[in-house]
Amino acid sequence: MDSQNSSKKPPIGVIGAGSFGTAIANLLAENGEVILFSRRKEVVDRILKEKRNVGQIMHPHVHPTDDIEELCKKCFLIFPSIPSDSFRQVMKVASPYLRPDHILIHCTKGFDIKLEEGVSLIDKKLKLKPADIRTMSQVILEETIVKRVGCLSGPNLSKEIADGQPAATVIGSHFDEVIREGQQAIRSKRFQAYGSHDMISVELGGVLKNSMAVAAGMVGGMGYGQNSMSFLISRGLSEIVRLGKALGAQPEAFLGLAGIGDLIATCTSPLSRNYTVGYRLAKGENLQQIMESSTEIAEGIRTVNICKKLSETLDIRLPIIEITYEILYNEMPIAEGLKFLMEYRKGHDIDFMG
Amino acid sequence: MELKLPNPYDFSLTRISRNREKLMEEVIAETISQFNKEKQKGGLIRDELAKTLYLERARIKTEPWKVDPEDDFQFWGHVKNKLAKSDPNIEGKEVAIDIEQQLLKDIVTRYVHEITGNFNPRFFLFARQILPMIFSRLLNASFGKISGIFKPKVLLKDRLFVTGPLEKLRKLREIGTLILVPTHFSNLDSIMVGYGMDMVGLGAFQYGAGLNLFNSKLFSFFMSNLGPYKLDRRKKNSIYLETLKTYSRTTILHGAPTLFFPGGTRSRAGNIEKSLKLGLLGTVIEAQRIQFEKNPNNLAKKLFIVPITTSYHFVLEASSLMEENLKKTGKEQYIVNEKPISGFKLFTTFFSALFGESSEITLSMGEPMDVFGNICNEEGESFDKFNRPIDISKYFESKGKMKPDDQRESQYTAMLGDTLVEKFYQNNVVYSSHTVAFVAFELLKKKFKKEDIYSLLRLPEEDLQIPYNEFLASMRNITTELFNLNNNNKLKLAFHMTKEVDEIITHGIKNVGMYHAKKPIYKTKDGFISSEDLKLLLYYHNRLEGYGLSKFI
Repeated sequence: MDSQNSSKKPPIGVIGAGSFGTAIANLLAENGEVILFSRRKEVVDRILKEKRNVGQIMHPHVHPTDDIEELCKKCFLIFPSIPSDSFRQVMKVASPYLRPDHILIHCTKGFDIKLEEGVSLIDKKLKLKPADIRTMSQVILEETIVKRVGCLSGPNLSKEIADGQPAATVIGSHFDEVIREGQQAIRSKRFQAYGSHDMISVELGGVLKNSMAVAAGMVGGMGYGQNSMSFLISRGLSEIVRLGKALGAQPEAFLGLAGIGDLIATCTSPLSRNYTVGYRLAKGENLQQIMESSTEIAEGIRTVNICKKLSETLDIRLPIIEITYEILYNEMPIAEGLKFLMEYRKGHDIDFMG
Repeated sequence: MELKLPNPYDFSLTRISRNREKLMEEVIAETISQFNKEKQKGGLIRDELAKTLYLERARIKTEPWKVDPEDDFQFWGHVKNKLAKSDPNIEGKEVAIDIEQQLLKDIVTRYVHEITGNFNPRFFLFARQILPMIFSRLLNASFGKISGIFKPKVLLKDRLFVTGPLEKLRKLREIGTLILVPTHFSNLDSIMVGYGMDMVGLGAFQYGAGLNLFNSKLFSFFMSNLGPYKLDRRKKNSIYLETLKTYSRTTILHGAPTLFFPGGTRSRAGNIEKSLKLGLLGTVIEAQRIQFEKNPNNLAKKLFIVPITTSYHFVLEASSLMEENLKKTGKEQYIVNEKPISGFKLFTTFFSALFGESSEITLSMGEPMDVFGNICNEEGESFDKFNRPIDISKYFESKGKMKPDDQRESQYTAMLGDTLVEKFYQNNVVYSSHTVAFVAFELLKKKFKKEDIYSLLRLPEEDLQIPYNEFLASMRNITTELFNLNNNNKLKLAFHMTKEVDEIITHGIKNVGMYHAKKPIYKTKDGFISSEDLKLLLYYHNRLEGYGLSKFI
């Protein structure tokens, strides 16, 4: 009976066949058919031939395609999972095929930046205002006619999901319908999905923790233990909440899965890409070497830069982010950065919830 | 060529009014069914009746109005007795439910009779002819010499400008239903918009007029037959609100052109509304969905939303509105010392002032949109922001099937609210008076930047001196920026704003201060710009808030 029902259900779409897109596609495939889009035909051909992608075995219900029109035509519910710096571009490509009855739940933990022509994010003098940044849900609303938008965010390391370990996530949306449809599609015996109407906070939780993950990697790489890590995570949370609040989030939201939950996972796992960047830096490699040898983008490198610039415009002191920025972009030795952090004036422990 | 005004006997309001009894029956039945759907499940009807009874009895005691029916007290006494006699534990569940349903019907019926408006085409024709005469009379009186009423020198149409895609709107009113959503600055908005719309051939609109306005016999006589339904802001119980929403939705579904003030009440601080009251606006989204449900295959009538930004050089109630605003925001830091202006005086003073000087009013109508904010063409087809045709009925569908979803529709309503605010700003026609007030107040704010707003408002008049050259320089900067904003479709400029800056200043100062006893802005004999009433200056200044202009001062 179940299999009959599932065969009648429309397939679910996933846009982006990176490690998270692939993991999500496999999870969704446990409940029905899935169409997985990759821009690159060779990726589609390889999945078809080898039944594997980015180290993950593909579920037989996942059907790869490089035809975005086909995906949009057949699916009502679509999960875009594309790096933040190409998210807008892919949405522009999909836009003509998206309809008012589509539901989009993105899985991207990053910011989109709107800069004037010729201005680069790397520019050290660039002043970044909150009005220059967009979350991915805002990009969807700007680039498409879809109104029913949501985000999926939480402690969800692709490798652990792929290994079938139990985990949970949050689907944030203003629409009950989006949360409900997302939960129905993705819930399984090993994957729990909570809902939240506070979409912006869920998105910001996922984005801002990336910068802390890079710093956590450095702590790990230096060989420090759990005292240091807890110090970093809890003070990191304080910085996330302060910046998040300035960008429109509710501080309480950071106490949930998509806030502290995601922060713990990403700061303590060597599986996290962002953590790995910090770890390798602490082991003596430089940023260029690390980026050249990575197959996928670590959002954290970009997020640190964005957060640092925002904090300057908003006049918020974020010492961990500032130091991480100096280490990443100005070659400050990690030991010196740590010294600065330890000498930073003491403040109250909980000064960010009100 | 003279515009041929549509015949009121052909208006959908006339048709609806002819079937008034049937309409009321429909609204009663629909409200009860909707209310039962929402509340019966949890056995909440009894609770709601009790709450309504409590609130209504409190209203009668604490806030009685002349317009309230004589039997108000008896009616609610009857509800109280009946409710007391229907305790399910004593009378049995079935008896209790029967009594509850009967009471619900009685209450809804009472509300529907109170709310339902009337539209009399004969009266409308009469008003169409008589109004310009009254206006002319006032005009001539204000010139100081009473000439014959048939030879007016200046007509209302010389003072009231309706701008926007009028030809398109005239076509759309034939194929769908127009929903006007104007900004709200003055109690005279509804008369101005109502008159203005007929003047440009868009016919009559129903709108919700505050029940308190019907306390005045003159207003009641004049307006009762021109289509307004009655809104009572004292009644906040859920049965009343459900009835009101159902009335609005049902009349829209029957094709009644409707006017909403989405800001709810008049703007207290003179700024353009930023947060809208979405209750009645939500009925528009619902009505559109029901249209699609009942009429598949592109046969559904469409609702066209038309944002309107009203522009006045002066708002008579400015002083009392601003007082109210400052009292609310400033609490003990602000002390009220003026009496609000009364209804009739407001009416006459306004028109004398309007005709007496070279003043003007603009009703700036935006492009008609569907309920999702997409622009519509003359055939009523929607085009998305990429200018591609869009089938909006699909926004109500889930996996290929149309089904109602209240929570989804409440989000769509909020999105429509955001779009409307954006359009209000874009359609705002900036006047010389707004500009001089903005520049003057910003300069004073800059000069006394250490003072908070309440201390600033308490400064003595002699401290409020701005050298004319400084004022002129800032006026130049701001007008340049206003032209930039105008070129980028962020706002509109009145024709008089194309004059030389010196002339704009003279025009602005003259117009903004023409009515008020204390001048919000004036030029002193020794050439300074000053103000006799800073809070009024702030009120008119606020009209240009939200465009990021402060940084050009």
